[in-house]
Amino acid sequence: MKFKHAKPTIVEADMTPMIDMTFQLIAFFMIVTNFDQTQADERVKLPADKLARPPIVAREHEIVLNVGFIRSGGEITGGPYVFYGGGDNIRIADFEPRLKREYAISKKQFDEKTTQDTTIKIRADSDVPTGMIQELIKMGKDVGFAKFSLVAKSDDGQQ
Amino acid sequence: MKFRKKETDGKVDMQMAAMIDIVFQLLIFFMLTLKIIPPEGDFNINMPIGQVAQDSTDIKLDLKVRLESNPDGTLSQLWFGGRSLGNDYPSCFDRLNNEIAQIAGGQQGYSDDLEVELNPDYDLHYRYIVKAISSCRGRMQGGSMITYIEKIKFAPINKPK
Repeated sequence: MKFKHAKPTIVEADMTPMIDMTFQLIAFFMIVTNFDQTQADERVKLPADKLARPPIVAREHEIVLNVGFIRSGGEITGGPYVFYGGGDNIRIADFEPRLKREYAISKKQFDEKTTQDTTIKIRADSDVPTGMIQELIKMGKDVGFAKFSLVAKSDDGQQ
Repeated sequence: MKFRKKETDGKVDMQMAAMIDIVFQLLIFFMLTLKIIPPEGDFNINMPIGQVAQDSTDIKLDLKVRLESNPDGTLSQLWFGGRSLGNDYPSCFDRLNNEIAQIAGGQQGYSDDLEVELNPDYDLHYRYIVKAISSCRGRMQGGSMITYIEKIKFAPINKPK
């Protein structure tokens, strides 16, 4: 008796639409990913304001200071600190030597005029006492910086 | 003469597996590193160097805004000059914005003659000072900003209570 051997059938899926979609997703994530705000610290809960808009022309020289609290489960457990560099949490009262160092480095890298025109951008948590922010600004002035700005996140909603 | 016919149909199969692997890895990388951060803006602010308020010998008109705080850092009273604007956040700041608008808003563009001095209590939370700066700076109208006052400065630091 003769048996007919069925030919093995290879079903090839059409990969083209899947690859198209995947490339589109990659393009989307590449565009949406924000590489600008690398100096932003997630521990700082910024206040929101509708007038806070990113500057039209980005500043050439600025130093960002993140001022916030250590939180655990929403509760404040320490601070306020200036979150500086890699992982240093420095009390505002102890921050002057770091500002002096920043000034000296900037002066060496550029010149005195550029250093004085460098903007100190303060990203402070909503709950930080304003007096401490004033102290930080005063420290900056004493060291030699002249321009300061306070950061808030943009809020397009109705207030 | 006999020619042997080649049995190729001219179709070259590309190895897609490697490319798809890489593409998926890229996709996962971007998905994991994606952080949705709202855009941020900043307000320029000035601070007098001395601890004592300087004599106002120049013609500039200083508008004084005083922000008093409760011991827990919340707003207890907002003052514009000698007038109390209350403490009902955020309506009191809307009132401040209206007061500033009456002084500065009638002019075309912002005025260089006007300067606001913010005098907050030491313990007052930062969110109130941002709101005060915003109320003095201007308002939004149809997606564009109308600036009232550009020059805003802090008063000398008040001692903590």
